[in-house]
Amino acid sequence: MSRAYTAPAALTMAILFVVPMGIIAVYSLLSRGTYGGVLPPLTLESYTRLFDPLYAGILWRSAVVATIATVICLVAGFPLALFIARAGRWKNLYLALVILPFWTSFLVRTYAWMFLLRDTGLINTILLSAGVIREPLPLLYNYGAVLVGLVYGYLPFMVLPVYATLERMDKNLLEAAADLGAKPAATLWRVVIPLCKPGLVAGSVLVFIPCLGAYLTPDLLGGGKTILAGTLVQNQFTNARDWPFGAAVSLVLMVIVMLLLTALVRREGETLL
Amino acid sequence: MKRLLPLYAVAAYLFLHLPLAILGVFSFNQSKFIVWEGFSLRWYAAALHDTAMAESAVNSLLVAAAATVVSTVFGTLCAYGLWKRRSPWIAGSLYLSLVTPEIVMGIALLAFYQWVFRFLHVQLGMHTVILAHVMFCLAYVTIVVMARLRSVDAALEEAALDLGATPWQAFLKVTLPQLWPAVGASALLAFTISFDDYVITSMVAGVDSETLPMVVYAMARRGGNPEVNAVASMVTVGLGALIVAAERLQSR
Amino acid sequence: MTRRTWFFLGLSGLSGCARDLRPRLNVFNWSAYVAADTIPKFERETGARLRYSVYESNEELLARVLSGNSGWDVVFPSNYFVAPMRENDLLAPIDHQRLTNLHHLDAPFQAPPWDRDLAWCVPYMWGASGILYNRHLQPAPAAWADLWAPRLAGKLTMLDDPAEVLGAALKKLGYSLNSNNPDELKRAQREALDQKRLLRAYLNAEVRDQMVAGDLEASQLWATTAQQAMDGSAALGFVYPSEGFALYADNAVILRESRHKELAHEFLNYLLRPETAAGVVVETRTATANAGTRALLPPDVRSNKTLYPDQQTLARGEWFQTMPPTVQRLRDRLWTEIKAA
Repeated sequence: MSRAYTAPAALTMAILFVVPMGIIAVYSLLSRGTYGGVLPPLTLESYTRLFDPLYAGILWRSAVVATIATVICLVAGFPLALFIARAGRWKNLYLALVILPFWTSFLVRTYAWMFLLRDTGLINTILLSAGVIREPLPLLYNYGAVLVGLVYGYLPFMVLPVYATLERMDKNLLEAAADLGAKPAATLWRVVIPLCKPGLVAGSVLVFIPCLGAYLTPDLLGGGKTILAGTLVQNQFTNARDWPFGAAVSLVLMVIVMLLLTALVRREGETLL
Repeated sequence: MKRLLPLYAVAAYLFLHLPLAILGVFSFNQSKFIVWEGFSLRWYAAALHDTAMAESAVNSLLVAAAATVVSTVFGTLCAYGLWKRRSPWIAGSLYLSLVTPEIVMGIALLAFYQWVFRFLHVQLGMHTVILAHVMFCLAYVTIVVMARLRSVDAALEEAALDLGATPWQAFLKVTLPQLWPAVGASALLAFTISFDDYVITSMVAGVDSETLPMVVYAMARRGGNPEVNAVASMVTVGLGALIVAAERLQSR
Repeated sequence: MTRRTWFFLGLSGLSGCARDLRPRLNVFNWSAYVAADTIPKFERETGARLRYSVYESNEELLARVLSGNSGWDVVFPSNYFVAPMRENDLLAPIDHQRLTNLHHLDAPFQAPPWDRDLAWCVPYMWGASGILYNRHLQPAPAAWADLWAPRLAGKLTMLDDPAEVLGAALKKLGYSLNSNNPDELKRAQREALDQKRLLRAYLNAEVRDQMVAGDLEASQLWATTAQQAMDGSAALGFVYPSEGFALYADNAVILRESRHKELAHEFLNYLLRPETAAGVVVETRTATANAGTRALLPPDVRSNKTLYPDQQTLARGEWFQTMPPTVQRLRDRLWTEIKAA
């Protein structure tokens, strides 16, 4: 019976995801075409090339950046979701306000940050004229800027699922906790957070994964001075025109993330789907 | 804490909106460059007379609307189905679609379409874009709805079934009403992701299906074109007004 | 549903109903490569419709048309992308009979190294990379080697393109920028790594605004983009480095999949018309491959040393070439190492 419910989605995923990814898997086993594309013969070369400290280092650095961004989103997103969930009749408006900035193009948002963080940008101009600093602070084109961009870009992915679980939470439970003498902080820590764990886990996954594969933000706010996993893959498909290697890198990346996710799910005893 | 939370929310909203507000202010800048030279509406005039922009905006809205409706319906049903009975295959493919870097998904879809086109005589166009968007929105919708389902009491539905409801009725009348906030949230998320997507869309779009992000991206890459700021401001204010209006209607 | 939604649905419905039966040419070009009236004028003259859209990189273009059923008719790859597109069987031959204005092309572009007989492409615009700098820098930079000076620390950018960055380093060392000698490339990589410590960032066209605003002192940039920056700020100057520099040309090609090859030729011939090219050049500040156009240009444009360097300067330029796969792979590896450092 439940098959009937999942059928439309299953069919969509089978045709538009599994088959295309199968093609990519085949790509990763072929040889590089001179000008992009792929050619026979079959080879494992793209995978053996990955056993290289250079690429391992890039993957590791991406994981670190994505983890930090996720933790910041978690810490910053939870209270916001809590606020919205408790906002009564205004909560839909507040929720919409979280998403609204994200209906402008991703690139426009990134440019907005570049405009703020530049040497002659707003922050430096204000600090300079206030006499706080003598020389403009180098705010743009470093890891800090990349993190700001990632957090800004993916915060709603944290807020939405957390809000969805918080909103559903039984008010009586909180009152019961208060009646039993629990301080607000204790209620939050011992009752609210454990209850909205599914939302927190979902949010973290939704933030971590795109951060790991992001390439526009690191490139634009990091000034192209660093290379993360997303940029590496992107480069193979465009500049380097090495599709088999790009396919291999992305498949390996996907496997690593899947393993991490499975480990998380096992340990926490939580599943998302 | 009661007082701290609103204070924090104000700061968070400032963080979210200030960069765009500033961009909005500079959409009224006379100068082409990011140096203030005086008030002007010239970039708005330019944006409104830009037919490519208008066309791409219509395309974007159509794609996002279609992808949101289809993926929200499919995703909600799917989450429900998975909640009733787990399926590692479906869940696995949804997870995988999340962890696939956008560029890879774009290339994969393009390769797939090329392969299909060998048998069918079609070209890249709105249909290929919409199909791609439905696919990559599905996982997001399913996860958000699922997060909510996990806190739904299954006993209620069982009670409905015991009282003679068909499974479909039980879903529609008992479980679905409890899911509305999550369905709404996931629809918003799907719309946002679809409306904003550049990487995948740019791979699978044909001649007549350029979306707003594609036009804006091309423009912004040319350097800070204030026309982009004007368009961004119009989209933000327009959609914002829409949301506020919808909110007013609902709360009446 | 709101009124706005209805409005947009209506709009799209209308556009669907009132289907225009005139033939339509689909043209995909770099940004800022036509003037405001270039397209409307062609439409008036021929009675055809033209769909015009822009891209920002050769890779983007190639990805879009590689399927062979993209719907585009005329596109504009750079010189080193013409051969790849031809080998992927994407191009239609150019019919010289139909291009009565072909003789207007500059002599070097009548038989360019990337397509000696112009069998597959028609050169459209060309350009070069050099150094855009702030004039208060004394002495002003004159060579790539000057971009290794510690005084520029944190105030310098290079293009975000392996061919350009390695190219500048290769030139600094006195090698060809198309070098495929691993030792030369590795030495160039060491230079680039050295320079990275001084760099603010690797940026392309986006750097223009920051140069105008004064955030930066010097950047490696394309001449046409540099000219746009100089139009915005009198404090900026541009120099073609003394060691030599990269040249590139963007060429009009007709895709094999095009169903309007006749109209496409007509469009190419229209672009080759000196008056058309002059209109484009004056408005967009680009460098045309059309000799006939020069006479029509206002003196200040014609004598612009950034857009139209003299013969002596031009002689130092070197055309980018298509790399063999092994060299391409080595270069990518070196570039990844530079970026990851």
